Amino acid sequence: MSTELQTPPRRNQGLGRIIVMVYAVFALSALARSLFQILSHFDRAPVAYVLSAFAAVVYIIATLSLARTGRTAWLVSLAAVLIELVGVVGVGLATVLHPELFADATVWSHFGAGYGYVPLVLPIVGLAWLLTHREPKES
Amino acid sequence: MILDAWFWTGTVIGVLSLLICLVAAVVRRYPADSAILSAAAVELFLIVYGVAGAIRQFSGDTLNGPGWEFWGYVITALLIPPLAVAWAITDKTRWANVVLAVAGPTVVVMLHRMQVIWYGQW
Repeated sequence: MSTELQTPPRRNQGLGRIIVMVYAVFALSALARSLFQILSHFDRAPVAYVLSAFAAVVYIIATLSLARTGRTAWLVSLAAVLIELVGVVGVGLATVLHPELFADATVWSHFGAGYGYVPLVLPIVGLAWLLTHREPKES
Repeated sequence: MILDAWFWTGTVIGVLSLLICLVAAVVRRYPADSAILSAAAVELFLIVYGVAGAIRQFSGDTLNGPGWEFWGYVITALLIPPLAVAWAITDKTRWANVVLAVAGPTVVVMLHRMQVIWYGQW
């Protein structure tokens, strides 16, 4: 028991597991949605649909790397979460300032308002989790 | 009618699952049977909803939106509770119950979308 208390919880356990679960839900729904959009009516809003597909890929990479342990996975997670943060803030700003560029909504439109702003909160939570659960350098 | 008996049944099951899982997260230090069963109830509802949808469609009921978008949502939603259970039971902490809690509300949101595709916007 005492050794259990001394080892810090692993990155993919406890609260980290909930983060991975929410990422998995977003990965799954963003992938399904963008596949549908691209396969059925890509011409309607090519920019928005390419962005949707890109967001889906970022969520998938983040889900898989957050679920894994090890330093490489940590670095990949950090990169994915940062790209996601830049994406949601950038696309969020672009949809507010230049709505004419987007003929249809993406996950990141209006800072993820269509998904209860979870896409905006998620990378911040993910970043905080990663920074408080760094992987020690391999010896 | 989007907010029909199907929608309310699914919503009640999803919300109950959320509440059961959150209570389990407080009182249990491991994935509780009640939380896992509540996720299974959500899955069971989706299976019944999907079968009923298939019967309705084959008996000539037309969808307002694209059929394969509807079925895309059904299939995606069907994946969520098993995913949550698989991810929860491999972690023997109280947080596993919160992982299970994600499934119910997610399915309710997707169910609303399915209803909109089927019946059109109001």
